[in-house]
Amino acid sequence: MSPLVLIVTLLAIVLVALVLLVLINRGEARFTFDIGGATPRASGGGDTSTEKGFKNRLTGLSIFSGSIIGLLFARLWAMQLVSADEYARQAELNRTRTVSTAAPRGRILDRNGVELVNNRPSLVVTASTEVVDSDVEVQLLANVLGMPPVAVRRKIQDQTEGAQSLRTVAVDVSRRVVSYIDEHQYLFEGVKVEERAQRHYPLGSRCAHVLGYTGRPTQEQLAAAKEDTSDARIPYESDDTVGQAGIEYQYESVLQGVRGEQQLYVDADGNVLDYATSIEAQSGSDIILTIDNKVQEAAEQALVDAIARVRKTGNLECSSGSAVCMDVTNGEIIALASHPTFSPNDFVGGISNDDWDMLSSEEAGNPLMNRVIAGQYPSASTIKPLSAFAALNYGIASMDSHYVCTGYWTGFGEAYGQYCWQHEGHGTVNLREGIVYSCDTVFYEIGKAFFYSDDKEGLQETYRRWGLGSALGIDLPAESVGRVPDPDWKWNYFTQADDYARSWQGGDTTNLVIGQGDMLVTPLQMACVYAGLATRGSIMRPHVLKGVASHAGDGTVIDFKSEPALAVEEEGSSFDLVADGLKGVIYEESEAQASHFTNMRELVAGKTGTAERTGEEPTGWFIAFVPADDPKYVVASCVEQGGFGSECAMYVVRDIMGAIYDEPDTSTAVDSSGVR
Amino acid sequence: MLSRRGVPEGIGEKAHTTFSRGSGSAKGARMTSLELSQILYLPQLVPTLLLVIFGAVVIWSASLTIPQASFPRHLFGIALGAVAAYLVWNYDYRTLSNVSTALLIVDVILMLLPRVPGLSWTAMGMTGWVRIPLIGFRFQPSEPAKLVTILLMASLASEYNGRIESLRDYLKLCGILTIPFLLILTQPDLGTGLIVLVAGASIIICAGAPRSWVLVTIGIVVLGATLVVVTSLTPGLPHLLKEYQLNRLIVFVDPSVDPSGNGYNLQQAKIAVGSGGFLGKGVGNATQSGSGFLPEAHTDFVFALMAEEFGFLGSTILLGLFGAMIFATISLAQRVDSPFAKLVLVGIVAMWSFQLMQNVGMCIGLMPITGIPLPFVSFGSSSMMAQLMSVGMVQSIWRHRPKAA
Repeated sequence: MSPLVLIVTLLAIVLVALVLLVLINRGEARFTFDIGGATPRASGGGDTSTEKGFKNRLTGLSIFSGSIIGLLFARLWAMQLVSADEYARQAELNRTRTVSTAAPRGRILDRNGVELVNNRPSLVVTASTEVVDSDVEVQLLANVLGMPPVAVRRKIQDQTEGAQSLRTVAVDVSRRVVSYIDEHQYLFEGVKVEERAQRHYPLGSRCAHVLGYTGRPTQEQLAAAKEDTSDARIPYESDDTVGQAGIEYQYESVLQGVRGEQQLYVDADGNVLDYATSIEAQSGSDIILTIDNKVQEAAEQALVDAIARVRKTGNLECSSGSAVCMDVTNGEIIALASHPTFSPNDFVGGISNDDWDMLSSEEAGNPLMNRVIAGQYPSASTIKPLSAFAALNYGIASMDSHYVCTGYWTGFGEAYGQYCWQHEGHGTVNLREGIVYSCDTVFYEIGKAFFYSDDKEGLQETYRRWGLGSALGIDLPAESVGRVPDPDWKWNYFTQADDYARSWQGGDTTNLVIGQGDMLVTPLQMACVYAGLATRGSIMRPHVLKGVASHAGDGTVIDFKSEPALAVEEEGSSFDLVADGLKGVIYEESEAQASHFTNMRELVAGKTGTAERTGEEPTGWFIAFVPADDPKYVVASCVEQGGFGSECAMYVVRDIMGAIYDEPDTSTAVDSSGVR
Repeated sequence: MLSRRGVPEGIGEKAHTTFSRGSGSAKGARMTSLELSQILYLPQLVPTLLLVIFGAVVIWSASLTIPQASFPRHLFGIALGAVAAYLVWNYDYRTLSNVSTALLIVDVILMLLPRVPGLSWTAMGMTGWVRIPLIGFRFQPSEPAKLVTILLMASLASEYNGRIESLRDYLKLCGILTIPFLLILTQPDLGTGLIVLVAGASIIICAGAPRSWVLVTIGIVVLGATLVVVTSLTPGLPHLLKEYQLNRLIVFVDPSVDPSGNGYNLQQAKIAVGSGGFLGKGVGNATQSGSGFLPEAHTDFVFALMAEEFGFLGSTILLGLFGAMIFATISLAQRVDSPFAKLVLVGIVAMWSFQLMQNVGMCIGLMPITGIPLPFVSFGSSSMMAQLMSVGMVQSIWRHRPKAA
């Protein structure tokens, strides 16, 4: 109880002061003591003492009054002269408020200037804090807005927008609501309707996985913004629009503008009296993507069509897939599609819990997941060109190696026999034909040779040299790295199994060499591998940013500088063999498949793949580059549980190429040969 | 001086009347400054008038931003006060020295007036106002009651001619003083109660109460006050102090306890005073009082408003004017012979000094917050009238002084 102690002390001080006052009169007492108190009142004898007594007591009163004035003067001296600056600062702090004004977020355009993301005006109802004091007004507002009164109250009491500013109650309100509030302004004191910019995605779900979405800053982002002391720091406010995924997230610092600041003079009730200095808000810069909206649209449609085609055959397991198209010369992503998809518009103004649960659920197929960079699948036969490189490099095979395929391979003994996908057998095939017909036997032999050679991990080394098992560094968040399995990984991964099962077996190598089993790659990784095959080893870093157009100054456009991601070295003859083999896949493997490409002017080289997983429909791959003789684009597609690559993913790739060269696929031939 | 002889009341009074010709001689004739100073005690009057003018300027500037601070009403209060002061000045105060019973009755009536149904008017949690029916004029009877109490105590204490010898007499004086004090406390108006107590106690002390008795009395009062505070702070015991009074005390000790209520007021007042600096912000430029941060800027916290607008210079002038009029009054008390006059002046000086300390002290964090107006400056007709009547009383004492032949 420290206040009590201090009050008692205070009273004690008053007591001492009064005692002193009385003590001053002591002189009088001492003086009159001699004369004696018995002096008759009426007689003249007491005159002098009485008069003297009064004089002394009045002197005491003078000291009392004088010390009061002196004390006040001293204190005023200290406050008004010594500490005046500090008090002036506090007075200034009292009456000034800084209100920040939101800066428009930068737009996002495709490579030809098509608006993929812009800002649209939205009507926002705001209310001052006093509104909460009136139950009637809160109820009225709730009725008009169609919100529960509790929600209205909570929104108004939300302090995150700053103590003085109007609180946002509802966004995107209808014209009808606005005009009702305007007409009944007397009912809605302290309620205002403002126009604010809202993020808008005019093409709906187009390019959603690249664009990402926005939201209010998360607690982590707010905390990080507080801790960051660098110049690039963005001082987020809780009602800011902040990128949470995709480009919106990746280039947040570019898109986010700089908030303006307005200094206001306010009175004690927070009413604005006058405006002082202000700093204009700077809108964020526009982002130009490498995406071509036309190709993007085709890619998205192709995926939808391919999945529908597969489902029509009765395979209802197939519901997701992805496709990517990249410029092999500079790494520009021309199209990137992932299915199922979502609309970033759902996130504008805050996504509802139900919507969020739906979008992030397994049953809905994780629509928010960008399968091109985050989907991981066994590469299947699309890996075979790299396996051929490994065989050639490590002396396992040579240009004129020949293999006999009987359809059933027993290289590790009868007990460990494995089928080639072509159970009838391919007969005698060389390395090139092994790629063209995707003959598993050829690669089983190579795998077996690796297993027994001194370079047991020659395959893994080759795959890793080509970028598998590591991120490519695309400018999108959440890129997966895939997995290149090796003995160490296997031993540490299956910790519950016995030592034999944990150790690397010959079957692991023969799985690996044909891209099955524990091998995992992303469609982007495989697209980059084929870009490397097309460019003879020069893999550019894949990217979606083409340039940045600033709103400030003269609006200069800063172009993104392409850079190599990997430079892979292989023998020129090896490249020749593989490239020839990949052309053979397109034009020789199956007639039906070839018919889809012979109707194009450009030569195509590519590879099918079919990733198998027990208990599931196989996942189909198709990766190709075009034109085969002077490669410009690589297109990769992977359709989950879509069956053989030639049955699903091939159509996606062909449709994308059709969109690029304006040569739609006219062939209706359906491949029934089961080529992998 | 001849008048050094102590004169018993009855005799003294007669003696004084014979000297009161001075005022009559001035009637009708053009007054010279010498004649003027014969009937008016200029050393006290001039600073007071300057103070009233200064106060009027401050209230006028407050009226620019505070709608309640009506400048015409303030001028009306000054006019009323001037009339009242003139009447008091013309009245021979000496007749009052013998009518203590009547004074006590008037005092009690004034204190009880706000409790009369039909008259009472409650404002700011206090039933201290009276609203006269038909006219609608509101005033605070406790303001004139302060002056009546001073006259009452002076008339009683002057009987002892500067020496209180019997404990019974001393206790009688103390007892009578507690009557107006307790009546004011019930309104409840602790601030005005304290003024009455300090003014009355000053009169008793100056009337010649023995030192030891006074010390014991003060000791009892302090002990009692402490007890009241302690019981009010302790749950379960009777809380004699109202919660807001207790809060004001707590906030005075530690302003950070209640930064939005009383602590806020104190803090804002200090900011207003301190930010005035040396020369002040100028009339109409006071941001603290002008923008509503400083509450009651025209009444209780008027000093803070003045200090913000006129700075240290203004504060010094204000304190200087108060000092001049207070010391002029004390000087007059030294010069007059009648113990009654002396004690009335003592009471008035004590009242002004204490109100000055309390009001200015509260704005600068030296005293706890109470609703005590700053004499001659604060907005409010009751206070203005009572204070100007006190000035009239001082002037009456000068006018009716015995003059050396």
